[in-house]
Amino acid sequence: MEPKASASAGDRSPVGQPDVTRLIVRVSMKDRAAFDLLYRQTSAKLFGVCLRVLNDRSEAEEALQEVFVKIWTKADRFAASDLSPISWLVAIARNHAIDRLRQRRQTAAGIEEAAEIADPALDPEALAAAGGEAGRIHRCLEELDTDRAEAVRGAYIRGESYAELAARHGVPLNTMRTWLRRSLLKLRECLER
Amino acid sequence: MSIVEDRLPDEGGDDLLAAEFVLGVLSAEERAAAARRIEAEPAFARLVERWEGDLAPMSAAYAPVEPPASAKAGLDRRLFPEGGERSRPRLWSSLAFWRGLAAAAVAALALAILLPFAVRPPAPQDRLVASLSAADSDVRYVALYDPAAGQVDLRHVSGERAAGRDFELWVIEGANQPISMGVIPAGETAQLPVEAEVGGRLAAGAKLAISLEPAGGSPTGLPTGPVISLGDLLRL
Repeated sequence: MEPKASASAGDRSPVGQPDVTRLIVRVSMKDRAAFDLLYRQTSAKLFGVCLRVLNDRSEAEEALQEVFVKIWTKADRFAASDLSPISWLVAIARNHAIDRLRQRRQTAAGIEEAAEIADPALDPEALAAAGGEAGRIHRCLEELDTDRAEAVRGAYIRGESYAELAARHGVPLNTMRTWLRRSLLKLRECLER
Repeated sequence: MSIVEDRLPDEGGDDLLAAEFVLGVLSAEERAAAARRIEAEPAFARLVERWEGDLAPMSAAYAPVEPPASAKAGLDRRLFPEGGERSRPRLWSSLAFWRGLAAAAVAALALAILLPFAVRPPAPQDRLVASLSAADSDVRYVALYDPAAGQVDLRHVSGERAAGRDFELWVIEGANQPISMGVIPAGETAQLPVEAEVGGRLAAGAKLAISLEPAGGSPTGLPTGPVISLGDLLRL
């Protein structure tokens, strides 16, 4: 693992804002002012993640709080990660929101009103800021059949399970599973090229 | 292991499971099992992290949405239940601690204690602290002005008010007439709201003073009793 100092070179915080890497490191030292600032800078993005996955404002608000509790308690782990600070934060938020979604779907069995909200256009600022490496996954997705790439994107953005994806795409669950796994293997192969 | 082996015996293995975890398609049980492996197996954790990094650019599709203010308030209540509504050290509310200090030391200590908390978001104005005392009086308060909160926090250190009398807080700016900030409620701690205009004067270097007034405060709008405590505001 690389020391975190080198990873901060790729930090994507907009000019003029304190660097998110440094804020996370300060939060790991339980610096509450840094935590407030980190919240101010990143909560809109992470709320966007929770809202998109959970599709319910009050639940997303609850999830956002839990996400920041995790960030507060686990910030020291960031030092051992190779992810960019924003990717690290988004991963925490996405994983938490998806966990919540799975718990909810499990308890309230059979809600298949799989949120048919149109995906918002890609956030151009974030795309531009993501720079060269970001192109890789998008390029590799383009190598997949359109509907399969769509299934991968849908799963990632909305946190849909195999069952929900199968329903959305009108294919049997096992077909969806095979599709998606083949797609992932192709992606891995493409990403490594 | 078994999750992938059962379904896809000769393809992908752990790397595929890591991808499925990151993508989010697994069931609750499968996710929980994978999460346990992330904790226990560094090699598996690295596979997951690689996928997180590879797929992360897709998260550009998440449009930022400003969360409601209640989210941060709730978060602070969860994480810092003892800290009150703002980042304030616990010592702030320890009466015995403040009583044990000489007046001169109070300001220095208030500074030392509050300083680490003053490393805050770049606010237009920052917080100000004052130790209020006077040579011929035992009435002592510590005052903390927080522009973001729009209020002055007062910590009563010593000096009782006589029956039928009140302490009133004033802003004194040079030769201008004092501006009343209101009667200080009895108790170990008190808060008084600060209007923005008055706050600006505080930030510009005004003093705080406490006068002894009839119950309910000065009837004239200007101090009528003796000033029993005063002090300069120091920037944190």
